[in-house]
Amino acid sequence: MDTKAGFVGEMGAGGGWYCYPTRQFKTLSVQAFWTNPLKPGEASRAAILPHILRRACQKWASTVAIERELEDLYGASLRAEVGKIGDQQLLSFQFDAVHGQFLPDHPDMLELGMDLLREILYRPLIVQGSFDPTIFEQEKEMLDRQIQALINDKGQYAMHRLVANMAGDQGFGLSRLGTLEETRALDVKGLFDHFQMIRDHNPMLWFVVGDVDPDQVARVFEADPAMQVARRPLPSIPRFVSQAQGRVVVERQPIQQGKVNLGYSTEVTMRDEDYPALVMYAGILGGFPHSKLFVHVREEASLAYYAYARLDGVLGLMVIGAGIEFEDYEAAVEIIHQQVERMRQGEVTDEEMDFTLRALINDILAESDSPGQIIGRQVERVLSGGGRTGSSLIEALKAVRREDVVRVAQRVNLDTTYFLTRDAAKDPVQEGRA
Amino acid sequence: MMKSETLADETIGERVHQLRLASGLSVAVLPLRGFTKTYATYATHYGSIDNAFKIPNEHRAVAVPDGIAHFLEHKMFEKRDGGDVFDDFGRYGASANAYTDYTSTTFLFSTTENLSDNLEILLDFLQQPYFTDENVAKEKGIIEQEIRMYLDMPGDRLHSNLMQALYQKNPVRIDVAGSVDSIRTITPDDLYLCHRTFYHPSNMQVFVTGGVDVDRVLDQIVNNQANRQETPQAPIERIYPDEPEGVHLPRVEYEMSVAAPLLLMGYKDTTTRWSGRDLLRRELIANLMWNTLVGRSSELFSRLYQMGLINNRFQAHYSCGLTFGFSGLGGETPDPERLEAELIDGLDKMPLTQRELERQKRRELGEYVSLFQNLEELAYVYNHFAFRGTNLFDIPEVLGSIRLEDVEQFRKTHLNPKERAVSVILPKPQ
Repeated sequence: MDTKAGFVGEMGAGGGWYCYPTRQFKTLSVQAFWTNPLKPGEASRAAILPHILRRACQKWASTVAIERELEDLYGASLRAEVGKIGDQQLLSFQFDAVHGQFLPDHPDMLELGMDLLREILYRPLIVQGSFDPTIFEQEKEMLDRQIQALINDKGQYAMHRLVANMAGDQGFGLSRLGTLEETRALDVKGLFDHFQMIRDHNPMLWFVVGDVDPDQVARVFEADPAMQVARRPLPSIPRFVSQAQGRVVVERQPIQQGKVNLGYSTEVTMRDEDYPALVMYAGILGGFPHSKLFVHVREEASLAYYAYARLDGVLGLMVIGAGIEFEDYEAAVEIIHQQVERMRQGEVTDEEMDFTLRALINDILAESDSPGQIIGRQVERVLSGGGRTGSSLIEALKAVRREDVVRVAQRVNLDTTYFLTRDAAKDPVQEGRA
Repeated sequence: MMKSETLADETIGERVHQLRLASGLSVAVLPLRGFTKTYATYATHYGSIDNAFKIPNEHRAVAVPDGIAHFLEHKMFEKRDGGDVFDDFGRYGASANAYTDYTSTTFLFSTTENLSDNLEILLDFLQQPYFTDENVAKEKGIIEQEIRMYLDMPGDRLHSNLMQALYQKNPVRIDVAGSVDSIRTITPDDLYLCHRTFYHPSNMQVFVTGGVDVDRVLDQIVNNQANRQETPQAPIERIYPDEPEGVHLPRVEYEMSVAAPLLLMGYKDTTTRWSGRDLLRRELIANLMWNTLVGRSSELFSRLYQMGLINNRFQAHYSCGLTFGFSGLGGETPDPERLEAELIDGLDKMPLTQRELERQKRRELGEYVSLFQNLEELAYVYNHFAFRGTNLFDIPEVLGSIRLEDVEQFRKTHLNPKERAVSVILPKPQ
């Protein structure tokens, strides 16, 4: 079974499961998701759930007990976190462990991992009819701090603020973690009710990657009552619609480097025929070291260490980012505008087309060497309602001509420019020496 | 065809094929069945701490500006004809990159096609330096922005400040990229000197892994090097100052734009005479100790978490090279003083038990097996081990030989208050 056959599995009324059997990896990965629509006022109460469930369940009633179980399984890992695709939160639970065949006592990691995840997801520790109040209070405090700490990573923070400004009242602009107000308003009883609703009604997806027998996996899911109940159907994620073109937002913090981020609408998503042309477009503009932004912002003008363009194919949105000297804002934005305009004018060389195609193919093929990327791509595909991936996307990319790239370039429009800069009232830049 | 030496781990069914060529270059190929991509590194045993040395055969000692190894890494991509090595890899569909750390500089590519073309580019471009006043001046603007980016990263500041507090002399106390001021003084001549000294094949190694044909890759590298007809150079004498006992500063505080404080507590390892398997053993003992004392399943971690003093990103880890070793533990915390006090108290008191040690050994073994599917990590570990005179296939055996007494003994010597420093980052008033 060394061939890369891809996923087998099915989407039923009770959720979906997908299995990718391969002997390529030493590990086994099992990942489960609930999806949940991002809504103002409600995001934190879903965001906190993975963290509470990860702490204790009926079978392993303390966090230490869970950690010991995992470490005894030769350092298996269990990550519980909340992510975001489009306007959906992903409540994610990922179990990774070395496959039993490479271990001294040959444990059946598929069975162990599936059991462990099911205990964590379905049967949390219950104290007086609800979550353990101590765990609840601790995780509430942790989420509060995690939300506050979003300012620590300046690059990510700037990007989040850009997207939030672009979104207006569209759900995708909300933080996957929710807000401090939402978090502080959580109560344990209400949260437990909400958990039961999500557990029993939200769409649920499972992914398994490793040396497993798909029939065994199928039998496990067929015997799982949680997979038989009728759940809400998978959401369809709306495309980004630009609401305020040409807006500029400036925010200030006491920092050493400015972050300039530009957000664009593309009107094209993974589901569209023009998507491969858009992927080529973004690659030529800012995906690689040969791309226009890297060459002109970094190599020629020496304005930045990094300058990139990145697509969100689910939303049909493109972002450009660069870290710059505060006073170079105008110069950097001018170069970025020039390069975007050149693409519109059709200034794309054969070499740019060729290098970008090769680089994209390399990235797509290399995805199959990482269990995490295999799962991530499939999640995106299932949630975006189809679209090309893998070899199908490669074939479509090969067919993209310069005219196609120029055509999608006409539809790319600047929505918002965001600049995170230094607090002007503060002292000149320090060197950060102790 | 030269005969390669093979090391294998039969339990997991993997082997590495190793060769040392007449030029002095070390070569290793580790094939992984079923992998689509190939990942190749060409690394030199030359990092940020190598800022003073004697030039081979000249016996002249020189000191070069801080951050020059990293600067040189950047400039190697510049070509004499004005082109860029990234474009050469791009032409053949590979994704190329490079990184520098305390002890090594690594150039790499990852590709799913045209392996031999890309390998040829990798083997050739590191021997073709081209530095001018103009291209060196231009790079300063780029690297200055890279340094400023790090200055805004709390985790990076926290670590950097700890290293300056722990060490009095050893150049690990200096940031890998140097400072905005130090890189401004770098000249083309400095770069040529460092290149001539440290980019000789006898100071370098090639590592190739992924879906590869071992014989074909080895043949190509052998032929490429034979054409060069280079001979090994005399050993490079690196000048490292003796590190005195005791820390430079017991405590460093720094303000920046963060939501809550961060604390990193460090212990300097004062006995750094090890290399090879002995060094690997010490590193494993140290990390078994940290995971037993304050890893995820420990009573101490659990207590600190429940007190709200740490979060899930808390880490405790020992790192080492041939001339240094240190531990760092900490993370985000609302109360750095309290966390520091609780850690110091708990680390001394927590019992080390056989059961806990066995559990941590299992965890370590699982991590080792997992390496053989993460090409980037595998190459990183292989290269670091090789430069320290050991091999990653040694891990299971060395791990198996570690006893509870070893860990207890390490705790007694390593957790020395005189070798302890703390780095704290506090929120800057907005």
